[in-house]
Amino acid sequence: MIRLLVFAVVLAACGPKSVFVLSADENNRFALDQTLAKRKLPDQPSPVNTARQPRVFAVSGGGKAQAKMITAYDLASSHVMWQTDADVQSRVVVGGDFIVELEGKQLVARDQARGTVRWKADVDGGFVGAAADRERAYLVWKDGNTFWIGAYDGSSGKRMWKVDAPGKLGAPAAQGGLVYVPFLDQWLAIIDGATGEPMTRIRGVDEQIAMLRTTSREVYYGSRLGVFRLDSRSALGSRAQSTYTTVKIPAQLEHPIYGTDAYDVVQQNYTAFDRSHILYAAAPAVVENGPMKLVGDGYAMHYFRYVFGFGGKGELRWAYANPRVELIATEHTGASILGVSTTGEVVALDPATGALRSRKAMGTTGQVLGATFDADGYSPGGADAGAPPETIEALMSIARDHDARFDRVKEYAVSELAKLPGPTVTTELLTVLSDTRAPQHLKNLVVDLLVARKDPASLPVLTQQLELHADYIAKTDNDAVGPIAKTVAGLAGLALDPKQVEAVMVGLLYHLEAPSSGVPELVQLIGALHAIGGGKERARLDSHLLLYRADDELAADPGWCKAIATALADGGPEERELLRQVAADPRTRAPLADAIREAAGTMINQ
Amino acid sequence: MHKTLTRFVMVGLLLAAAIAGAQPKRAPKPPKPSQDVTPLVTELNSTDVEVAAKAAINLGLADVPAAHEALLDVLAMGVPPAVATEAMSALTLHPAPPDVATLVRYAHHRNPNVRAIAVESLAVYPDPAAQGAIVVALHDQAGVVRTAASLAVGRAKIKKAVEPMLALLARGEESAARGLAQLADADLARQIADQLGKVPDPSLALCLGLILKRPDFGPDPARVEVVRAIGKIEDASAVTALTEYVDATPKNPPRPSRAEAEGIVNARLGGGK
Repeated sequence: MIRLLVFAVVLAACGPKSVFVLSADENNRFALDQTLAKRKLPDQPSPVNTARQPRVFAVSGGGKAQAKMITAYDLASSHVMWQTDADVQSRVVVGGDFIVELEGKQLVARDQARGTVRWKADVDGGFVGAAADRERAYLVWKDGNTFWIGAYDGSSGKRMWKVDAPGKLGAPAAQGGLVYVPFLDQWLAIIDGATGEPMTRIRGVDEQIAMLRTTSREVYYGSRLGVFRLDSRSALGSRAQSTYTTVKIPAQLEHPIYGTDAYDVVQQNYTAFDRSHILYAAAPAVVENGPMKLVGDGYAMHYFRYVFGFGGKGELRWAYANPRVELIATEHTGASILGVSTTGEVVALDPATGALRSRKAMGTTGQVLGATFDADGYSPGGADAGAPPETIEALMSIARDHDARFDRVKEYAVSELAKLPGPTVTTELLTVLSDTRAPQHLKNLVVDLLVARKDPASLPVLTQQLELHADYIAKTDNDAVGPIAKTVAGLAGLALDPKQVEAVMVGLLYHLEAPSSGVPELVQLIGALHAIGGGKERARLDSHLLLYRADDELAADPGWCKAIATALADGGPEERELLRQVAADPRTRAPLADAIREAAGTMINQ
Repeated sequence: MHKTLTRFVMVGLLLAAAIAGAQPKRAPKPPKPSQDVTPLVTELNSTDVEVAAKAAINLGLADVPAAHEALLDVLAMGVPPAVATEAMSALTLHPAPPDVATLVRYAHHRNPNVRAIAVESLAVYPDPAAQGAIVVALHDQAGVVRTAASLAVGRAKIKKAVEPMLALLARGEESAARGLAQLADADLARQIADQLGKVPDPSLALCLGLILKRPDFGPDPARVEVVRAIGKIEDASAVTALTEYVDATPKNPPRPSRAEAEGIVNARLGGGK
């Protein structure tokens, strides 16, 4: 009898056995509806913690001379709740009145109000991931080839149940009394957090389930390809029939993710993935059909120091560049985008406009390595958002960033910048060209964008830029002469102000005759003068031709020869006669003579 | 062909004149003895660069208008750099106002040596356009051109070049020190002396030392000021400059500036004894 009782107790402690089986009921809409109805969810999005206060828990330090530290910060009152040394080896997971994180080989729970250790639980194998709801912490670990999930009482740390799985489990998530566990890449198992009993499971029909993210009211799952909102339609399994969306992210913002990969143990700690991910929140309205609707019909992308806001069609709405340092963690609360920088500043952005709502220092010591928000629905300042950011300024800040990691983002920034009208944009794009540290491929792109802009309003700016001359004493140079000339040439055929054309001609002619202009620049200058000069340029081009027709360097350069010959061959009889005579003069360098003959055709042989 | 080319020669000259500013009036020239320079002109137009360059030199020596015209023509039509430099130098042997436009055009040539010779040649012409081109050349990226311009400033006594010359002195350019020394009167010498701490000591000592050595610089109280200014320079180059001044100046008649220089040198070399 005693043996039987002991067996029963052990059996109960081990929890149910049939949660993770390969053959089980799945994608059952009735069961799913029943399961989701059991969740204890707040009426409005709100933090998980029992005080319902928006909080952030940041992990900092960790250098050779500095221990890691957790800083608990109250976002609403802008004060540090506590700071404590802790050798944190995972993300911080937030429960009701506790937090848990991995320290060494133990899951450590700390009092959320004070930071003191409440309990510790050994991890009997390799850590896979952890989660928490208001009452319990959940841990997935791997012992040998067996995966386990267990539940721990948030107050005492007592293990309430554990179950094993015959295959791979991912890091769990928890919400309102349910535990969500990715299983064998294909399923999302839903378990009763109190008992460990299986409730139901979802099978991804046309997309694996590797990503899992919960808020106080929503569960998102999916993969790198897209994101599902967990609701009744999830039982249908497919993208088309579920509440699903995939957002457009520019190719230059590499490796976008909708959430951390539950199967990647590395991502269960704070990593670079936290600095490059998509920020989104589903609109509260239940969607009976069609794709998932997002709050404000938009989303954002956190990319290291930058946050880009996009409209539903993928169009850039705004850009935010965090001053000097990267954001290491960001979260879309549904009402704002929160971020923590490496220096411990908390920023809040308006998801619709990118306006900076607040910036506060958390008082962390050492570099912040990562942070966990518990601030669902929170927005500082409510609707009183600050001024929207100057998108041009933000994009230029990106373009000017000398960090080589962001070369592709710079390309995106200048591409977006070039879509904006006005001379200011032209000025800013030209500054990229004069930046000696800007990568050449970026400069090439800027040139192409400037040419493609064909913005007549830019002509005065281009003229102004030509006023920058090479000057040894003033220590100035103008690296943008060629691109400016190419851009001016691109304006040919548009309705231009004759006075502005005259002014730009002065600048172009100055550089044509300036010794500082390189041969490639001369080619562009000649092209520009020819394109917009309307014949007024010919006398100066005649002089240029004569001055260098016997020059060993210039008259041997095929590009220059072709440019000057082409420009003058387009002229009147006098220019053609000059070309004929220059080509026939034996002192003229052969490449130039050949170029003239080619440009002028049979005319000069007559 | 000749007719068309001549027209373009004129176009070139007019364009160059436009660059240089107002075209100066041609100064009357005394009649020259007749000399047939036709063979030299033919050689000047040779495709052989050496032959053409040598012809340019000889045409410069031939003091006849036809030779000068031939040099201007060939420069207007464009020649290899080696011929252009000789032709420009040849022009300056018998300078005439129309040369300025041509030389200014070549002062912007892509070849630094050509620019340097053009700038150097312009020093011969007391023409605002010529002086303007020289000042512009002080800002040139090529050191050889700045050197030519600095020396040209000194030779042509171009006062409006003082500011850029001081800037070049601050960058330690020896040619600027030499040019300023040629240019300096007492006021400018004082202005240069005030650059102590702003320009490299050796450059300042060289410049002030060269001013002292100029026989036309004075009166002696002005020289005393310069000596004292050099005395404030801590670098050893100051002692060198003063020593050279003492050595180059006769003891008699006695000059207070020499005595002051000698005193400073003795104090510096003798440790103040």
